[in-house]
Amino acid sequence: MAAETGGFAQDLERLEQIVRRLEAEELDLDEALRLFEEGVERLRTARERLSAAEVRVRQVLADQAGKLRLEDLDR
Amino acid sequence: MGHPVDLFSALSSEGAWTVAELTRRARAVVEAGLPALWVKGEVSGFKAYGSGHWYFTLRDKVAQLRCVMWSRENQRLPAPPADGMQVFAFGTPTVWEERGEFRLTVRQLLSTEAGGLWQVAFEKAKAALLRDGLLDPARKRPLPSFPRRLAVVTSPDGAALRDIVAIMARRWPRVEILLIPTRVQGDGADREVCAALALLGRIPRLDLAIVGRGGGSKEDLWTFNSERVARAVAAAPVPVISAVGHETDVTLCDLVADLRAPTPSAAAEAATPDRVELLALLDRLGGALARALVAPTRHAGERLERAGDRLALDMTRTLERGGARLAAAGARLDALSPLKVLARGYAVARDAEGRVLRRIVQFPPGLPFRLQVRDGEVAARVGDG
Repeated sequence: MAAETGGFAQDLERLEQIVRRLEAEELDLDEALRLFEEGVERLRTARERLSAAEVRVRQVLADQAGKLRLEDLDR
Repeated sequence: MGHPVDLFSALSSEGAWTVAELTRRARAVVEAGLPALWVKGEVSGFKAYGSGHWYFTLRDKVAQLRCVMWSRENQRLPAPPADGMQVFAFGTPTVWEERGEFRLTVRQLLSTEAGGLWQVAFEKAKAALLRDGLLDPARKRPLPSFPRRLAVVTSPDGAALRDIVAIMARRWPRVEILLIPTRVQGDGADREVCAALALLGRIPRLDLAIVGRGGGSKEDLWTFNSERVARAVAAAPVPVISAVGHETDVTLCDLVADLRAPTPSAAAEAATPDRVELLALLDRLGGALARALVAPTRHAGERLERAGDRLALDMTRTLERGGARLAAAGARLDALSPLKVLARGYAVARDAEGRVLRRIVQFPPGLPFRLQVRDGEVAARVGDG
């Protein structure tokens, strides 16, 4: 179960799928090259996702009416 | 003498005490003479009133002692004592004037049984959770692999939050940490934790939650042994990791949670993938990708080579076939050559003008002509017949 959709999880999953297909199937060169190029692109975005992020911490506060708001937490 | 004692005057003067006066004095004497102390005995006739106050009797083989434990004192205890339980009670002996009753105002109560009242309460609540199926391992939900949004139910000032944030910043900074602040110890902390857990269902796109606190005394950790808190954890709409205290502390909250982590730091690690490991995985996949492309490329190359070979072969064959045809044609051509005919012994006769003489009429008697044979010409003449 992956929490991200269209994010890192999907990149990783697609990448693994591409490698499996390239390894297992007899593909013609056009198809293999197309998959390879997509794999390289997925690899690049996945790496970017891992390097770009910085953890964010907020706190959940409920007002008198019970409405929730998020507030940045000073650390 | 001779006068009867005037009882009424004794009652009405300083000579006799009122009940109120005596009981007040008795109370003062008891309280002054007996400081707060520990008493050991067996509980009997336990009764908890709606006000929250507890009334019971401590007894041994020869005597009984009435006890009261006010709600503000007994709230700190995890469970009431059961009748027949051996306990140590700490309190102040006093006289309850309204009833003229000698009794102990209990401030602290310890069971002499293994684990004391805490254990009694723990087992009782655990049995209730078990009965309701909340401890069934099949209830445990898998944790998301790559969480984006995670709630932490803990104290805003505690070490637990600090540890969790530090570890996630290193391992998986893609996650957004939402603190739901709550007290985690003291009176009413269990209700606060329950209220915080109830907010989980109102946070959109939440992937999982960590509930817990750092280490502390058994009493400090008791909030997480509350049946109420355990039930709130079980009802959470997302997977919950419980992280209470240290390695050795196992709470009801731990038993009900989808995962029990020994410490808040361990919870943070269980909740997130490690970025460094994932980068290594991506490297491996990149390598596999490159290697995987080699096969189709080589395959295509081989096909190309085979195609080239076939082409060359075709050409050779074509050429060979062409050569054969040429040779055949040449042979046929050759066969038609008059020289070949001459070589077989035939001769060609020609007149002086070089015309070939083919019929008898062209050979009148005495006609000179030329005979061409294989290796040249000879002069000849038609005989007289």
